[in-house]
Amino acid sequence: MSGDTRITGDIQVRALTKTFRTTTRRPGALGTLRSLVNPLWVTKTAVEDVTFSVAPGELLALLGPNGAGKSTTIKMLTGILVPTAGEVSVAGVVPYRERERNARNIGAVFGQRTQLWWDLPARESFAILRDIYGVPDAEHKARLREFDDLLELSSFWDTRVRHLSLGQRVRCDLAAALLHDPPVVFLDEPTIGMDVVVKEQVRGFLKHQVEERGRTVLLTTHDMTEVSRLAERVVLINDGRLVMDGTLEEIKRKFGDTWLVRATLADPEAAVSALPGIAVLQREGPRVVFGPEGSHAPTVHQALKQVIERYEVSDIALEEADLEDVMRAAYQGAALEASDVLEESAVRGGAGS
Amino acid sequence: MTAVPGVWRTARITPLGELLTPPRMTGVAVQLVIQTVLVVALWRGLYADTGPTTAGLSREQAVTYAVLAVLATRLRELDRYAGRDTVMQHMHFGTIVYWFLRPVSPRRYYALRALGDQLYGLAWAAAGYAVCLAVGVVQPPHSAGAAGAFALSLLLGQWVLYYIMLLIDQLCFWTLRNSAAMLILIFAQNLLSGVYAPLWYFPDWFVTLSAFLPFQATLNVPLSVYVGRIPLADAGPQLALQAGWVVLLAVVTRLVWHRAALRVVSQGG
Repeated sequence: MSGDTRITGDIQVRALTKTFRTTTRRPGALGTLRSLVNPLWVTKTAVEDVTFSVAPGELLALLGPNGAGKSTTIKMLTGILVPTAGEVSVAGVVPYRERERNARNIGAVFGQRTQLWWDLPARESFAILRDIYGVPDAEHKARLREFDDLLELSSFWDTRVRHLSLGQRVRCDLAAALLHDPPVVFLDEPTIGMDVVVKEQVRGFLKHQVEERGRTVLLTTHDMTEVSRLAERVVLINDGRLVMDGTLEEIKRKFGDTWLVRATLADPEAAVSALPGIAVLQREGPRVVFGPEGSHAPTVHQALKQVIERYEVSDIALEEADLEDVMRAAYQGAALEASDVLEESAVRGGAGS
Repeated sequence: MTAVPGVWRTARITPLGELLTPPRMTGVAVQLVIQTVLVVALWRGLYADTGPTTAGLSREQAVTYAVLAVLATRLRELDRYAGRDTVMQHMHFGTIVYWFLRPVSPRRYYALRALGDQLYGLAWAAAGYAVCLAVGVVQPPHSAGAAGAFALSLLLGQWVLYYIMLLIDQLCFWTLRNSAAMLILIFAQNLLSGVYAPLWYFPDWFVTLSAFLPFQATLNVPLSVYVGRIPLADAGPQLALQAGWVVLLAVVTRLVWHRAALRVVSQGG
C-alpha cells in the first residue's frame, strides 16, 4: 500500500463519452398526463470524446463552466459511472470494471459532500476508514500525525462532524480521502465556500501531497487563484468536449494574452509610433497607452522592456488580464467554438441528406 | 478481492453515534417504558371483558406477545435520520458516491451497518425483556425447546425484516426518496407482522392474505412460538417458511443491488 509496492498513479482517458437517457415531461397538464403513460425519452451527452492523460505526480486542473461535464468525467474516473464509450485507466485499473480494486488506488473529495459520519467525532470516522481500507494501526497513526501537522486537525478532530465548520470538515475530508495513501486523488471543487485562510492551508496541503509525496491529483475548481497556485497544466472542457489541453501560459496566450502598458513620457512632445507587435492605443499629451497588436504580440514584460528602451518615461504601469478574465474569455470562446462545430456538422448533415 | 479483516467494525457506527448522544438513549428508554405500560394496560383491559381465552390466546399469552412485540420494534428503530445516514439522505446529499468508492461493496457495507443496528437494538430489547420478566409482565417460554425455536425464528424474522428494509432503501436509487414507501411499509409491517395485535385476532381472510406476504415471518411467527400459540411440534414448517423468505429476498435484493450500482444518480455536471 505504500513505499516500493505503490503502483504508478497515472490516469489515461481516451475518447471518453457519457450519455444519459432520461425522461422529460411534455408541457401542460395534458402533456404531463401523457408523459406518465408514454414517457418522452431524451438523450443528453454529458461528455463527448474526451482524451487526456495525467502523469504520475502531476496535478492537473480540469476546468470548465458549470455543466461542462467535469464532475461526470471525475465520476467515470472514480468508477461511479460507467462510460458509454471510450477507455479509462487509473493507476492501471479500469475503474468501473474493478471498483473495489480501484478504490484502493484512489482518494476523492466531492466539494461539500462529506464522507465522514455526521454523529461521530472526526477521529472516529478516520478509525472506521482505517478499518475499511485495512490500514495497519502504526501506519494510520503516522499518517494522522502528518496530516495534523499540515492541516491542524487535532484541535477539532474530537468534535462530532455535525459541529464542525465547513473549513474544518473539508480538512477532515481531505485527510479521510488520503488516509489509505492512494497514489491518485480526485478533488471536485474541494475548497468551495471556504475562507481564504483555510483555502491557503488546503492549497499548501495539496502542494505537499503532489511535490513531496508524488500523488497524482485531478482537481476541478472555479477558483482561479487555486489553479494558478497549484496547476501547471490545465484541461479545459465545455459542453462535454475537450477544448484545450495545455499549460496555463498556453491558455493565457490563446484566450487572454491581453495587456496594457500605460506610460507617461518625460517629453510630452515626443513622437510616438508603434513598436513590433505593439500598437499605440491612445495618446493624451505625455500619457500613452500601448497594447498588443497581431498574433505575434510580445508578452507584457517584453513590451514593457521595449517601451522603456525606446522612450524616456517618467512613469509606467502595467495592466494584465488576470486568470479570471482569461478563463471567462476561454469559456466564451469555447462556447463559440462549440456552436461553430455544431453549425458545421448541421450544414454537413444538411448537404448530405 | 481479499477481505479486509477489520471491516466488520463498521457495524459499530450507529451504536457509537447513539452512545455519544445520551438524550437519544433517554428518549428510547422513556418510549419503551411508556409503550410497555400502555400495552399491558390495554391488553389486560381487553381481557377483563372477555373470557380467559380469546383466539386461542390466554390473557398472559396476549400480554406477553404484545410486550415482546413492543420490545422487538427496538431491533430496527435506530435514529439514522438524525445522523444524516439513511440511504435516502445519502442520495439526497450526493454522499452515496462514497459507498461506491471504498474497497467494501455497498451491499456488504449496508449489511454490516444493519447488523450493528440490530445487535444494538437487541441489547435494548434484551434489557427490556429482563426487566419485564423480573416484574412478571411477560412469561418465560414454556420449555427450553420453545426458547430455542423462538431464538431461531427471531433470527430468521430479523433477517427477513432486514431484506424488506433493504428493498425499501434500494427504491431510492430509482425514486431518490422513499418516505412514502417507508410510511406504507411501517404500517404494513406493524399490521401484518402482528405488532399492533397478534394475527390470531384477525379474520381468516386476513390471516390467509398475510401468509402470502413476508411480514408475518418477521414477528408473528417468533412471538407465536414464544407464547406457545404455535406449538413446538408445528414450528418446523413455519421456520422453513421463514428461511424460504430469507432466500427469496436475498436473491431479489442482490439483483436489485446490481441494478442500483448502474444507476447511481449523480448530482451536478
